[in-house]
Amino acid sequence: MSGELLAFFILSLIAIAGGVMMLNLTKVVHMVIALVFTFLAIAGLYVLLSAEFVAVVQVLIYSGAITIIMLFGIMLTRHDDRTEAKTGKGRQWLVLASVIAFFAIMFYGIRNLSLGEQATTLHVKNTEQIGMLLYSKFVIPFELVSIVLLVALVGAIILAKRDDKEKEGESQ
Amino acid sequence: MDLDTLLSYQWGGMLPEFIIIITATLLSLLDLFLPKDKDRKLLAWIGLAGIVAALLVLFTQMGDPIVTILNDTYRLDSFSKAFKLILLVGTAFVFLLSMDYSRHDIEHRGEFYYLFLTALLGAMMMASSADIITLFVGLELLSISSYILAGLKKKNMNSNEAAFKYVVNGGISTAVILFGMSYIYGFTGETNLFNIQAALQGPLVAENSFLIIFAFFLLFIGLSFKIATAPFHMWAPDVYQGAPTPVTAFLSIVSKTAGFVIILRTILTIFISAPGLAVVHDAGINTEPLLVSIQPYISVLAMLTMIIGNAIAIRQHNIKRMLAYSSVAHAGYLLVPLASLSALVFEATWFYLIAYLFMTLGAFAVVQHVAAEEKSEEIHAFSGLMKRSPLLALSMSVFLLSLAGIPLTAGFVGKYEIFMSALGTAQQHYILAAVMIGTTIISYFYYFNIMVQMFFRPGNPVLHKRRIPAGVSFVLVLCIIGTIGFGILPGIPLDFIQQNFNFNEFFAQP
Repeated sequence: MSGELLAFFILSLIAIAGGVMMLNLTKVVHMVIALVFTFLAIAGLYVLLSAEFVAVVQVLIYSGAITIIMLFGIMLTRHDDRTEAKTGKGRQWLVLASVIAFFAIMFYGIRNLSLGEQATTLHVKNTEQIGMLLYSKFVIPFELVSIVLLVALVGAIILAKRDDKEKEGESQ
Repeated sequence: MDLDTLLSYQWGGMLPEFIIIITATLLSLLDLFLPKDKDRKLLAWIGLAGIVAALLVLFTQMGDPIVTILNDTYRLDSFSKAFKLILLVGTAFVFLLSMDYSRHDIEHRGEFYYLFLTALLGAMMMASSADIITLFVGLELLSISSYILAGLKKKNMNSNEAAFKYVVNGGISTAVILFGMSYIYGFTGETNLFNIQAALQGPLVAENSFLIIFAFFLLFIGLSFKIATAPFHMWAPDVYQGAPTPVTAFLSIVSKTAGFVIILRTILTIFISAPGLAVVHDAGINTEPLLVSIQPYISVLAMLTMIIGNAIAIRQHNIKRMLAYSSVAHAGYLLVPLASLSALVFEATWFYLIAYLFMTLGAFAVVQHVAAEEKSEEIHAFSGLMKRSPLLALSMSVFLLSLAGIPLTAGFVGKYEIFMSALGTAQQHYILAAVMIGTTIISYFYYFNIMVQMFFRPGNPVLHKRRIPAGVSFVLVLCIIGTIGFGILPGIPLDFIQQNFNFNEFFAQP
């Protein structure tokens, strides 16, 4: 067993365990911590795939920014930080059956997977290559993403803003 | 790539999109700097002017050769022009409706208007690109804008529920789409649809054809969330009911059109010559094309959608829920040309979407006005409408007859085209056509139920008698002209397609 395979197993185990724990824990803050483990393990997987830039971004944005925003969201809102009662047994079995079916199909599909020749120069200047592609070939989707961000920002503000004017109107 | 190469592209082709971006930006800035108590109706007029300008530019582009920018990340061919026409006209009508939408329910009027524009921009990019990345970003722009629009009635629990359900379901479908796309990219290493098409004929794909079919299913299932076909239609009734009526109209027309556009574009371009399942013949083992292998699945999906949509619509008491199930059923009809792999798939889909635009928008215009008068969206709010306002009742009847597919309406011609497309292929799809006729007859029950309410039930006392606002009546007049005009003279739009759109460009690489 090569070192790469060992690292892959450990990292993917952490990622899956984090995801499962996030679903099963009861306290919201614990869930966020479990999610951080998943994010960090996925960043490790990116490193294994020679995508260092994506790995660093993953750590910065997901493990850093998004987690902090979630924690702020939890702290700043009134919340009941216990999850509600679980769904019925029948439905759980149904979900389990479909998960197993999905796994079986996927396993059958990738069992004989052959991907041809492996690329060997992935690690060469990959940050520079991403930048060059973004600002030349993919400049249209890149600019479009900025509008997506703008829309998300506007939406977050108008949906979360409290209408103070209305409150004053009622009290008068 | 230096600046000269970048400037050598024909950026003029993107002019309609640029106009929409500029209008949206202008609206957001104006909204920021206008005094708070000032009426935001001005913004709606500016937005409408922007859409009309984009439409005019689009008309001047008719007949131009294909424009591609930056390796097909932007691609303007007849297919994109034809469907952008529907998207722009649909949004313009929605704008007219939203101007008169109750001021009490939505306080953020400015955002209301420019979110429609950004959603439209996303839909237009989905129509005019042949690159997975641009298509996906356009899809997300449309989706995220729609999530916010659905929740704009902040004090209404139904609206909050609608927005939440839409976000969760939309998020799941996005994840499924991305998972499918990742397999396609993994096998081909390309994001350009035409390069993928070429790469899918390589030996690597032939060895892994099972996974390619799997990727196809993931992509198709994810996208069919967006057009709300069964069994992935669960979100539609709640979202349609909770969202403000103009937003519901937008979702059921513009969003659905964009969904069909991206389905046709990705599936037909990527998989047109991909290998599918191996078939054992007498002569040996052959590989049939992927699109033929998956045909039964899409047919079953289309039939299920028609049956479920129409059957559940009968039991609805809320008019918007009923129209939601009816739109599910219409998505089923619209899948028939794709399922039968007809050569007329573009023409049939385009014509049906145009007819659907007129009749559905007209119906939503009436619903919006009646709901404002009666303060109720239940079907019995329509009882006695004939006595109260005969014009509204008659125009609603026209739209309902067209939705049901009665002759002399656009809906009938559209259904006829789809029907013929199912029977016009080499291998005729009798079962699909039969299910289509059967479910159309089921749909008579609930469409005619509303007409019974309008004409034969005693009326409610009028609570809030209102004049029909100018925007609504304008939409009504145009929709009636469209519905009846295209029904009596279907030659006009069909000739228009023949003259202006050469759908063979869809597969052409310059």
